[in-house]
Amino acid sequence: MTVIQVVFFLVAAFTTAAAFLVVLAKNIVHCAIALVFTFFGVAALYVLLDAEFLAAVQVLLYVGGITILLLFAIMLTSRISARGVRVMNEQVGMSAVVVFAIFALLAIASLKGFALVGSPPPASYATASLGRLLLTTYVLPFEAVSILLLAAMVGAIILARREREKD
Amino acid sequence: MRGAGCGVRGAMTGTVPLSAYLILSAALFAIGVIGVVIRRNALIIFMAIELMLNAVNLTFVAFSKFLGSMDGQIIVFFVMAVAAAEVALGLAIIIALYRNKESVNVDDINLLKG
Amino acid sequence: MTQAFNMADLSTALPEVVLSLVAMVILMLDFIVPKGRRDWLGYLSVLGVLLTLMVLCRQWGATQSAFSGQYLIDPFALFFKILFLASGGLIILMSIGYLRGEGADSGEFYALILFATLGMMLMASAVDLLILYIGLETMSICIYVLAGFLKRERRSNEAALKYLLMGGFSSAIILYGIVMLYGLTGATGLKEIASTLTADTLSNPALILAMVMLAAGFGFKIAAVPFHMYIPDVYEGAPTPITALLAAASEIAGLVILLRVFLVAIPGLQDRWALLFYVLSLLTMTVGNVVAIAQSNIKRMLAYSSIAHIGYLLIGVVAGRELGISATLLYTVVYALMTLGAFAMVILLCVGEVKGERIDDFAGLAQRSPMAAAAMLILLLSLAGVPPTAGFVGKLYLFGAAIERGYILLALIAVVNSAISLFYYMKVAVAMYMRDLPPAGLALSPSRPLRVVLFVTVVGTLAIGIYPGPFLDLAKSSIAGLW
Repeated sequence: MTVIQVVFFLVAAFTTAAAFLVVLAKNIVHCAIALVFTFFGVAALYVLLDAEFLAAVQVLLYVGGITILLLFAIMLTSRISARGVRVMNEQVGMSAVVVFAIFALLAIASLKGFALVGSPPPASYATASLGRLLLTTYVLPFEAVSILLLAAMVGAIILARREREKD
Repeated sequence: MRGAGCGVRGAMTGTVPLSAYLILSAALFAIGVIGVVIRRNALIIFMAIELMLNAVNLTFVAFSKFLGSMDGQIIVFFVMAVAAAEVALGLAIIIALYRNKESVNVDDINLLKG
Repeated sequence: MTQAFNMADLSTALPEVVLSLVAMVILMLDFIVPKGRRDWLGYLSVLGVLLTLMVLCRQWGATQSAFSGQYLIDPFALFFKILFLASGGLIILMSIGYLRGEGADSGEFYALILFATLGMMLMASAVDLLILYIGLETMSICIYVLAGFLKRERRSNEAALKYLLMGGFSSAIILYGIVMLYGLTGATGLKEIASTLTADTLSNPALILAMVMLAAGFGFKIAAVPFHMYIPDVYEGAPTPITALLAAASEIAGLVILLRVFLVAIPGLQDRWALLFYVLSLLTMTVGNVVAIAQSNIKRMLAYSSIAHIGYLLIGVVAGRELGISATLLYTVVYALMTLGAFAMVILLCVGEVKGERIDDFAGLAQRSPMAAAAMLILLLSLAGVPPTAGFVGKLYLFGAAIERGYILLALIAVVNSAISLFYYMKVAVAMYMRDLPPAGLALSPSRPLRVVLFVTVVGTLAIGIYPGPFLDLAKSSIAGLW
């Protein structure tokens, strides 16, 4: 086993364990913390895959943005979450079977489907080319997603702002 | 220095096969699906959906590397932007809901009624 | 190709540009126009929609690809863009009186409807999986907000949350399908995918997985059974014009991308996906119709009825070829018209404290307002598929296509389903004509824009029903060159 393989194996095990914790932890704050670790694990895998820029975005956006938002939401609603409500459906045993079935299905299909893919071509990665693609070939999605973000921003403000008593 | 690091890593990643990445992301995706199904709290369902999206993103990046095309990475970039927008909206909706009703447990919201 | 912005590309997307500019202007005017007078923003939005339609009609008959082949102007896209814009305009007209009644008039509501329409237009023209995904998300994100717009109402919040969670879940499933296609072909363009998939890759398990994932994800978006469980709650909780938007426009937009992806990207798998949609169609129409019988809330009843109609629409997809797909196209127009009309009636009945959402609220409508009752009767007959309405013609072509292609059993079950649906639609008609007006019934005073909506939908329903020729020709010419 090479060093890289060992690193991959460790990161993969770490990420999977954290993901399990997200789904299974009783306390919602633990779930959120586990989610941070999952995101970090995925970012590390991006580095292994020569996608440094995406790794950076992953840390900034997911760890820095999305988890913080989720933690905010948890704090705002913590009074309730801390109360002893049932956190899970009853069918945990059933779902263990289902999760394994889904996993097996996806894994077998991917393994059989991509058995012929060999080793990757030499990395020709540069962040600059990513940026160039975004503003040339992918300019339409780039513009469209800016509209999407505008709509989401307006929407989030509308929904979250406190309504004034009477205008 | 950066160039040297890239070179070493580039030469050695070849030893982790594509299938390893595919199995890992299949596992993450399945865990996400099951989170959506078994958890009752809206926020945790959110987190599970983010797990699913991360699994998909990981697959995109892996394919991008093994196919030698940048398109996969570009798509991941967009998926991340959309996910961020969705989470921001989700928080806003949860705040609005919380003002009216002091619970975010999906069970009280009867997600599967009807 | 590598130039950032070139004018030729931009001019093919001119209608979209115009629409987004209109929406942004509305957003800004919202600060200037005082509360209580924001009806004007609604009328302005409708003008914007009309302007976009005018710009759009310059593309009549044209076929042109733009933005590195990711975006395609063709008759198929044009057909649906006109449908989405018309629906969007009618929904804005419906909203003007509704928002005033709820004390929530605001420009943002109209702007978000326009942005949602923009997302649908992107979906109609998308021939690349990335554009398709972003169009879908643009539409969905706007609808999440709109569904939760009445934020003092718990029902509305819950509708938004449910729709957001199920929307996110289904998007992740669609993305898994997309990533499998990308991995197999290294491409995201639908045509490129089709040309890369050779005969021996067609039985690749990863490809089958991609197909199933995409069908399931789109199934959520178009509310096909068994992916429908969130739909009735969302329909009931959302503001009524947004329920109309969901039923009449967003589900059709989901159907459009379904058609594009399955017909253009993986036509080689038609045998398999036709079988998949056969089962979905069967389940969808049967469950929709049977459960609709038990509903006492009209919005829930219409929700199940819309599920049933999605089942009918899928018959055309199963039948395939020119005949089936053109029948589906015709039926999308019919379905949009009658659904919009029915929800406009629900809004019409919102007088004072009465929300108009129970079927009982329709009691004695014939005495209260004979015109409104007659309009509703026509819409109900069309929904049930009774001649001489559009619903009948639409179903005739759909079921005819199924029989032509040998799906006799499917057509038979669809006919039985139509008979079942007659039962619950007539429950409303009986309430309108046979039951007495409750003593508290107030006089109806439909706002002028709502009258326009009712007029357009009822006349449209009758026109297609009596003289379907030109509409069918349009549907047929719109799918030329789709493959």
